Amino acid sequence: MGKDLIQKSLKDSLFTGIIALALFGPIVGLRTVAKNEVLVVEPKWFVVLLIVIFCAVGRFFINLYTFRKEQRRGEQSSFGKAVSNFLDEKGAQIAIAAIAFSIIFPFMPFADRYWMDIAIMMMTYIMLGWGLNIVIGLAGLLDLGYVAFYAVGAYSYALFAIHFGWSFWICLPIAGLFAGMFGILLGFPVLRLRGDYLAIVTLAFGEMIRILLLNWYELTKGPDGLTGIPRPSFFGLPFKRYPDEGVETFHTFFGLEYDPMQRIIFLYYLILILALITNAFTIKIRRLPVGRAWEALREDEIACKSLGVNPRNTKLTAFAVGAMFGGFAGSFFATRQAFISPESFTFIESAIIVAIVVLGGMGSQTGVVLSTIFLIGLIEVFRDFESYRMVAFGGAMVLIMVFRPRGILAKRKPTIMMGKHG
Amino acid sequence: MSNNLLDVQNLTMKFGGLIAIDDLSFSAKKDHITSIIGPNGAGKTTVFNCLTGFYKATAGSMYLNKDNNKMDLKKFSDFRVAQKAGVARTFQNIRLFPQMSVLENMMVAQHNKLMVASGFSILGLVNSKSYLQKEKEAVEISKYWLDIIGLTNRADDNAGDLPYGDQRKLEIVRAMCIEPHLLCLDEPAAGLNAKESAELNKLLKFIKNDKKTGILLIEHDMSVVMGISDHVVVLNYGKKIFEGTAKETKNSPEVIEAYLGTED
Repeated sequence: MGKDLIQKSLKDSLFTGIIALALFGPIVGLRTVAKNEVLVVEPKWFVVLLIVIFCAVGRFFINLYTFRKEQRRGEQSSFGKAVSNFLDEKGAQIAIAAIAFSIIFPFMPFADRYWMDIAIMMMTYIMLGWGLNIVIGLAGLLDLGYVAFYAVGAYSYALFAIHFGWSFWICLPIAGLFAGMFGILLGFPVLRLRGDYLAIVTLAFGEMIRILLLNWYELTKGPDGLTGIPRPSFFGLPFKRYPDEGVETFHTFFGLEYDPMQRIIFLYYLILILALITNAFTIKIRRLPVGRAWEALREDEIACKSLGVNPRNTKLTAFAVGAMFGGFAGSFFATRQAFISPESFTFIESAIIVAIVVLGGMGSQTGVVLSTIFLIGLIEVFRDFESYRMVAFGGAMVLIMVFRPRGILAKRKPTIMMGKHG
Repeated sequence: MSNNLLDVQNLTMKFGGLIAIDDLSFSAKKDHITSIIGPNGAGKTTVFNCLTGFYKATAGSMYLNKDNNKMDLKKFSDFRVAQKAGVARTFQNIRLFPQMSVLENMMVAQHNKLMVASGFSILGLVNSKSYLQKEKEAVEISKYWLDIIGLTNRADDNAGDLPYGDQRKLEIVRAMCIEPHLLCLDEPAAGLNAKESAELNKLLKFIKNDKKTGILLIEHDMSVVMGISDHVVVLNYGKKIFEGTAKETKNSPEVIEAYLGTED
């Protein structure tokens, strides 16, 4: 085994060296420098040589000690297994601890404006991830245009709030309803599509909504965006330093000093509650017949038909319910930003949400939280490194896919257990 | 002919220029196991696909006699055949929900009933007592069937992790969960060993005698066909070449010719 292994590893590291040379040769090796106002190519072959040697030798040792040791490709590493077992056993306690932590989070000493903003953003992504998990994780419909429903929710909230002056709590369900209707609208044409074809059509749908928002100037103000979206109030008590005459505000009502953080903390709890509602709803509906039918449809549509399950209604409900939660998240986004434009609803948003769901482990609610913390957290941590942020993001994805090819938490729990019913 | 469960008259199915089923007529009785046999490519599965709404027959009629209520199967498209007419089927290549547990597979089969009980999810979301009661009943029904095939202790395992023979049996009892009048089985004995085949025979006889469900069976395994069939229909090139009891079929020169060819 020893000799054969070394030979194989050498071959592999040689190959790695060639690839490294091809990549780094032009990128690092040839540098253009301005000399006397003329661009001159300054070769740096020594640096390239160092990089190539580093890659090849590194690869050689990785081959020797990591890859070849466990020939079981695709199987979980022992570390991953331990983590997944731990999460399985202590799942309930961890969830309670996480919820408790998120409730006291705003009162932590380090929770300043910056951290609160990140927490609110993460919570929004978690909620979107949970919403999309219904469509992708449960019903198995790869939806690359989820951001469209987010946009529909945001714009319908903004338009109703601006033109009719309705409060947040009235506009929120309306926005959800609108997004849900758009979900059905998208659902109808894609009923017969699966897999790649479905992904392409949903992607196009997401772009259509964005382009519509961009060009329907009379309604959406196009690229200028909608401004002056009313802020949410605490059951009628606005968060304002200088309120209008005769209007009681949050801080005067509770006899507090005015602090802009009060509004941020309120927004934080708002999105926390919305997200937890999404989660509770998903956990519950998964155990109902319709949730089981979603999963069955993901597993085998033909078998579903043979058992009398209506695939059309089942798919449409999945699209509608998923879109509805996207719409809720959208209205929260609109009220938080007080300004929305089509720029906030580009394909990259859809891609990030899909990445969160897929990397978290399709169908796993906890997985969505973990991958959001991992991905969005990394993007934030690397904010100071500017262009390296996306490298970190991509690297994180690659790492998850290498070590946990089926997502961080891939284990699925049955929705009903015989043991419980005796 | 009122005691026939299924009446198929002049059924024809064409795919472009290819005639898969050619003017086929046969009937199946309520407490009978009716086998459809024939060489590969004879059109057996196509008959099933027409009956269960996966294909739309080019011509002919199919009537199901459900509690003295004649139903035209041609009026139902895909899933409605199972939902409204009560015709269940299994597949040549097993189609379970592999990533779902055995019990969940059984529960999905009772979807329509439970969907109504859950008030289309609204009553279910608020944990209504009537829904929980219905859910419990559905679990009881699942347990009843799982006891029969001896899989109750594996009810919480993924269906895809079961041994092949158990998957076959699970698919059959899952189909029984929709409380069908007619059960169409597409090669249920394929890939089973002798012991498993014997168990399958027992299960099918139980369904026929105790559940009063008519069975339509496609099968290549002659020990199964001859052992349990009350009536055999032989197809070749989409045409019916023989119809009769198992014993008559075994001795029929047409059937022997279709399977073995003629002596020169």
